[in-house]
Amino acid sequence: MNVVIMGCGRVGAQLAALLDEDGHKVAILDMEPYSFRRLPANFQGTALVGDGTDEDSLKRAGIEEADAFVAVTQGDNRNVMAAQIAKHIFNVPKVVCRIYDPLREEMYHTLGLETISPTTVGARLLRDVIVG
Amino acid sequence: MEVTKVLVPVNGERVDEEVIKLACTIARRRKGKVYVVYVIQVKRALPLDAEIESETQKGEKILKRAERIAGELDYQVETELLQAREVGPALVDEAVERGVDLILMGINYKKRFGEFNLGSTVPYVLKNAPCRVLLWREPIE
Amino acid sequence: MYIIVVGGGKVGYYLSKTLLSEGHEVLILEKDAKKCEAITEELGSVIVRGDGCEARTLADAGTERADMLIAVTNEDEDNLVACQVAKYKFKVPRTIARINNPKNERIFKKLGIDVTVSSTNLILEHIEEEVPTHPLVHLLTLKGGSLEIVEVKIPQNSSVAGKRMKEIDLPPGSVICLMIGKWGAQVPSGDTILEAEAQVIAVTRPEAEEALRAALTGS
Repeated sequence: MNVVIMGCGRVGAQLAALLDEDGHKVAILDMEPYSFRRLPANFQGTALVGDGTDEDSLKRAGIEEADAFVAVTQGDNRNVMAAQIAKHIFNVPKVVCRIYDPLREEMYHTLGLETISPTTVGARLLRDVIVG
Repeated sequence: MEVTKVLVPVNGERVDEEVIKLACTIARRRKGKVYVVYVIQVKRALPLDAEIESETQKGEKILKRAERIAGELDYQVETELLQAREVGPALVDEAVERGVDLILMGINYKKRFGEFNLGSTVPYVLKNAPCRVLLWREPIE
Repeated sequence: MYIIVVGGGKVGYYLSKTLLSEGHEVLILEKDAKKCEAITEELGSVIVRGDGCEARTLADAGTERADMLIAVTNEDEDNLVACQVAKYKFKVPRTIARINNPKNERIFKKLGIDVTVSSTNLILEHIEEEVPTHPLVHLLTLKGGSLEIVEVKIPQNSSVAGKRMKEIDLPPGSVICLMIGKWGAQVPSGDTILEAEAQVIAVTRPEAEEALRAALTGS
C-alpha cells in the first residue's frame, strides 16, 4: 500500500516506522527537517520537507498514487485542511485525520472525514484505568 | 469633595444597600443627584435589544429596592435599567452621558480558582471612567 | 446584519470598524488577550476572546443568528475551518475566507466556502492590468470558482487573427462572448472574423486558461 503521512511527530514517525516494517511504501512530510530524527535509522520510505496543506508538496510526496493519507501534525486545522485536500481534490481512498478538539472532531466526522481524537480516547482510557 | 452627580451601579447583592446610602449622604451635602443603574447583560446569542422578561423583572425589583433604601434616608434617587453586552463599558458610557462626577461601586470579596478576583467590570471602570471612582469592598467573611 | 469576524489583526480591525460605521452588528473573535483589550478600547464591546474555530466559542458568540462570518486570520487553514464550522454546524448563510496562498482559492471553494479573498491574487490582477504586454487579464471569478471571465488582447501577429470564430480551436468549456475591435463591441457568431488587436472577453475554466491564452495569441 502507498501511504502518505503528514507530520513527523512522535505519532507520525512511529506510524511511518510500523508501516515501513510491514513492507508498505511510505512517504512522510514535515515542515521541519529536524523532525525526521524521530525516524528509525533503517527507515526505507521517503522523508520530505514540505507543507501538507500545499498541493505541490503533496504531489511530490506521491499523493496521486496514494492508497491512504494520514494527517497527524500538532494543528487540528492543518490536519483537517490537508485531509480534505487528500479526500476531495486527490480522491485518496482512505483518509484519516487527528483532531484534538472533540467538538470539532464530531463535526468533521459528520461531514464524512474519518477522524481520531486522542483527547477523547486518552481520557476514556485513563478513566477506565482509574475506575477499573 | 465637590460632588453633585453620583452614579451607583447595583446588582442585587447586599452591598447595594451600603453604597446607595453612602451615595445619598455624599450627594445630599450639595443637594446633588444619585443615579442608580442596573445593567442587564445580553448574551451574544440574542440581539442587543431582545426583551428578556425574567431579567427585566429582576432588574426592576432591584431598582425598586434601591428606591426604598434611599427613601429610608429621605432621599430621592433616579433609577435606570440598561441593556448591554458588557457591564463596564455600559457604566462608563452612562457616566459620560449623565456627566456624573463620581461613580460609586460596591463589591464583595470574591475568590475565583482559589484566588482573590476583581472580575472585569471594576478594572474596566477604573481604567476608563473620566470621573472619580470610589470602590467600596465588603469585609472578608 | 449580524457579522462575525474571526481574527482581530489589522485586517479584522479595519474591516470591523468599517462594518460598524455602516450600522452592522459586528463581533470579533480573537485569541490574543492584548489585541482584545486594544480593540475594546478603540471600538467598544465588539470583541470576545476565543478561538473562532472552536464550536463552543462560536456557539457563545451567537453564530446561529449570524448572517455572515468572515475569517481573516493569517493562517489559511484556520480561516477554512472557521468558515466550515460556521457553515455546517451553525448554518451561517454566507462565509468569506481570506487566503494567502492563491492555490487555496480553488480548494476552499470546493470545500464549500462561499467567497475567498486573496490579497496575493488582487495584487497580481493589478499587475496584469498595469502591464500592457500581459495578454490575459482576469475580470471575474464566477460563483463556485468553476468558471471565470477573462479579457484577452489579440496580438498583431496572432496566428488566429483574420480567421472565422468557428475555425478557431478553443479549449473545451471556453466561449468567446464579446469582441471589441475597430468597429466597436459585438457578440460574435461563427462567421465573425477575429480582428488583430481586438479585445476579446471570454468565459473559461480556470484550468483551461493557459490553453485559451495560447489558442488566441497563437503562441
